[in-house]
Amino acid sequence: MQFDVHRSSLEPAFPAGVVLRALGDLDMAGVPRLRSAVVSEVDGGTRLLVLDLTGVDHLDSAGLGAVIGALRRLRTHNGDLRLVCPEPRLRRVFEACDLDRVLELHDDVDAAVGQATIR
Amino acid sequence: MSRGSGRSSAGIELVIPPRPEYLQLVRAIVGAATGTGQVGAPLLDPGRVADLRLVVSEAVTNAIEAQVAVGAPERIVVRCRPEKDRIVVEVVDRGPGFDPGAVPDLPPVTDAERLDHESGLGLSLMDRLADGAVVETGPDGTLVRLTVEYS
Repeated sequence: MQFDVHRSSLEPAFPAGVVLRALGDLDMAGVPRLRSAVVSEVDGGTRLLVLDLTGVDHLDSAGLGAVIGALRRLRTHNGDLRLVCPEPRLRRVFEACDLDRVLELHDDVDAAVGQATIR
Repeated sequence: MSRGSGRSSAGIELVIPPRPEYLQLVRAIVGAATGTGQVGAPLLDPGRVADLRLVVSEAVTNAIEAQVAVGAPERIVVRCRPEKDRIVVEVVDRGPGFDPGAVPDLPPVTDAERLDHESGLGLSLMDRLADGAVVETGPDGTLVRLTVEYS
């Protein structure tokens, strides 16, 4: 499935908070769409970004690179990125790159924002 | 290259333009090809089919990047060969190639600096998820041979 991103706001519970739900194949073809969505959020003032990968069919290293890029972009702007990734088949990709040890993967959006701290 | 008795006459060859839009097609066809082995051959476990699709996607992504980097418009060849006890996929590009030994080791995963490395993950995935991952670079391009066994 062609990659797309759906946006929903977390306000007012979480000021400057947004959920991006990723859908489809997050590969080299899908990366530009994710990157532009993240750039647009950060430029628009979003500082707590929840990236929900539940609807992702395929994830590979190009997609992981974009996720890491998103994390760095948020942190550079004193924000934070939270990942929702309940699917074992997707977690396996993080694990195969040892990224599960430096990135926390949450089961749902509630769990991801439960420990949100807006800096 | 070994051409032992386990080699099947079955096989598929895909020729694609070096463009990311074709990755999805390659994954779908390679995944389907796991069911085209010899009659009576065991079926590949769904988790291993997912691994195969992933490592092939990595190899084709690298091939596309290599060719785009030098502006080479030649097509990329993906050969898929189901054998008796394994499936072998070869990805051939016309890019400049690379030396896997020259890729720097990534920092330890306990280190937050791991996140400074967005690239180089593809090789790590191929190494870990395929039963065999061989890279042969020549003057005309690069061949990556990936093997997943029906264990």
